[in-house]
Amino acid sequence: MNLERVIFGFFILLALTLNFVFVVGEIDNYKHHNVWVLTIAILVSLIATGLKLGDRTQVGALLLAASLVTDLLLITARIIWIVAKTDVGLAPEAMVTIVSIAAGALVANIVSAVILIGDTLMSRR
Amino acid sequence: MVVLRYMRRPFFAIVLVYAVGITGMALIPGRDVDGNPEYMSLFHAFYFFTYTATTTGFGEIPSEFSDQQRLWAIFCLYTGVIAWFYAIGSTIRLLQNPHFIQAVNERSFARTVKRISEPFFIICGFGDTGSLLARGLSDHGLAAVIIDSDLERIKALGLRDYKIRMPGLCADASVPKHLVDAGVKQSNCKGVVVLINDEDVSLKITVMAKFLNPDVKVVCSSTSLRHEEHLKEMGNVTVIDPFEIFAQLLSMAITHPWLHNLNSWLVRAHGVQLGNPLNVPTGDWILCGYGRMGQWIDKYMVGQGVRSTIIDPDAEETAAAGRLIRAHADRKTLERAGVEKAAGIVACTNSDSDNLSILLNVQALNPDAFSIVRQNNHENQLAFDAASANLTLQSSLTTARRILKYLISPLIQTLIDHLRTQDEAATQYLIRRLNNAVGERIPHLWRANLCDSEAAAATQLLKAGGELRLEDLIKNPQQPTHALASVPLMIQRDGQCIMLPDDSEQVLRGDEIVFCGTEQGERMLLANLNNPYTLYYLATGIDPPRGYFFSWLARRIKTRDMAPA
Repeated sequence: MNLERVIFGFFILLALTLNFVFVVGEIDNYKHHNVWVLTIAILVSLIATGLKLGDRTQVGALLLAASLVTDLLLITARIIWIVAKTDVGLAPEAMVTIVSIAAGALVANIVSAVILIGDTLMSRR
Repeated sequence: MVVLRYMRRPFFAIVLVYAVGITGMALIPGRDVDGNPEYMSLFHAFYFFTYTATTTGFGEIPSEFSDQQRLWAIFCLYTGVIAWFYAIGSTIRLLQNPHFIQAVNERSFARTVKRISEPFFIICGFGDTGSLLARGLSDHGLAAVIIDSDLERIKALGLRDYKIRMPGLCADASVPKHLVDAGVKQSNCKGVVVLINDEDVSLKITVMAKFLNPDVKVVCSSTSLRHEEHLKEMGNVTVIDPFEIFAQLLSMAITHPWLHNLNSWLVRAHGVQLGNPLNVPTGDWILCGYGRMGQWIDKYMVGQGVRSTIIDPDAEETAAAGRLIRAHADRKTLERAGVEKAAGIVACTNSDSDNLSILLNVQALNPDAFSIVRQNNHENQLAFDAASANLTLQSSLTTARRILKYLISPLIQTLIDHLRTQDEAATQYLIRRLNNAVGERIPHLWRANLCDSEAAAATQLLKAGGELRLEDLIKNPQQPTHALASVPLMIQRDGQCIMLPDDSEQVLRGDEIVFCGTEQGERMLLANLNNPYTLYYLATGIDPPRGYFFSWLARRIKTRDMAPA
């Protein structure tokens, strides 16, 4: 067992699961989506991006690209949340945009996790 | 431009007919709907003539014609259609002109050759040897350009299923223009192979190629001794004499059976099993046929101290005195030569049916004798397969294999020559290793170049002061205790050649390492050489930290551990 791989895998999978946690629920109902979860997901995703910096392999480059996509989409979703927020919560139209953007980020996160698992299985040692 | 000159007359004919027709149509009065006289505009006249001359015939446009106009329309129709037929006929005649076709083929061939960016060879002569060679090059992923003066062969080339596209031209290769078209002056032209039976033509091609590009390698199959001497005088020309090569190989099979086995396996000879060498007996031999092949074999056999009786009806009395029987090699003569006690027999006349009948007789009289047979014609392959001699010489195959070896991996010959001077045990060790790595699969030879573009990770590691041993490169990253299917054969370093390097040999930047293994072995090895983390792991057994953060963390931990508590 390699501590480095544990930490690395932990952050990548955590980013994926948090993203999923945020996306689950009715797409236009703001009560089903927690802004705290979204914020923490952004944080974890940023940490994962940091860990991926400096890997000199092709796989490393692909992982980093996936992570950057996730960051971009999640941050966009958070900004829309701030802009669209009113005293009575969020309009269903704004909520749909936010959740669908976060779902896009989820896809990039899944790609990241699949690459990580594939790479680990390939090395088989 | 030739096309335009040829088309001048039909073009003028059409222009003239159009001019007369259109002018006439514009000058002849017609009538409008109300019956007033009206002249056709030049544009309308041209429009009318265009659809009339091309037999489209839309009718009388823009308004109904007058009788004068109709009269002129008849004239326009006949002259226009005739002019068009004449022009079309001329074009078709031109397209069918054999000289024109040849010119077009030459041009498109030259254009195709110019576009080849990878290294390629020129093969002059696409007979048995040429097609075997092209097949071999294609199997190794190398391109070739083919010239042959026989149109049928070039047509046949188009139907071959080569992995690499091989452009072919039907032309006389000894004409310098055609050699230039075939790309002899291009820097990526790695060699010219001349496989033409006509001595003068083959000599001429060699000279032309040498003049056009003095640096190009020329390989020539020899047809006679005189021819061979002529070629050798030119310098930097490799002459391949299949009979001499076969005699050399035979003598190698007698003195170094394991090495002979290894060599045949490396050139992918049919039915050769690695580690299962031929056992050529050294008793009394019978040699049927004392032509070029017979003489070469005799020369090498005498060199090995093997005594042979020669049977040839046409040989001169003085050649091989005392051992010669001047008769046809029939059953009686064979018995007279002592076939029952012979250790081996060579049937090398230039007639396939004679060779096969000798073989039949020998199999009846002395089935234990070692039999070597010469196959002259590729078409008789099935009969020779059925005859199952211990060794078959097919000169086209021997030539093609040797040329392929020379073009693709000239170093292999150096290796074989090196092993010849060594103990037999060295060869046996290599064979065992190759057997473990490759086994029943097809052997694949390749060269790994430790330069920045081909082995990025390895050069980085070496630049940073790291050490790499040969055994690190060939470890299997999935099971580091196992080796990949890659056996290092030699290292080329600063113009020096290290033969069969030890596994603990350190590799340096700029080394070129020749490997033998499988194609998968090559891919895995290349991956090792280009992935910094895998390579570091293989060299040190430690998984290096990936990424800036973990590298920083690792350095932190290291310095903290080293600092006094």
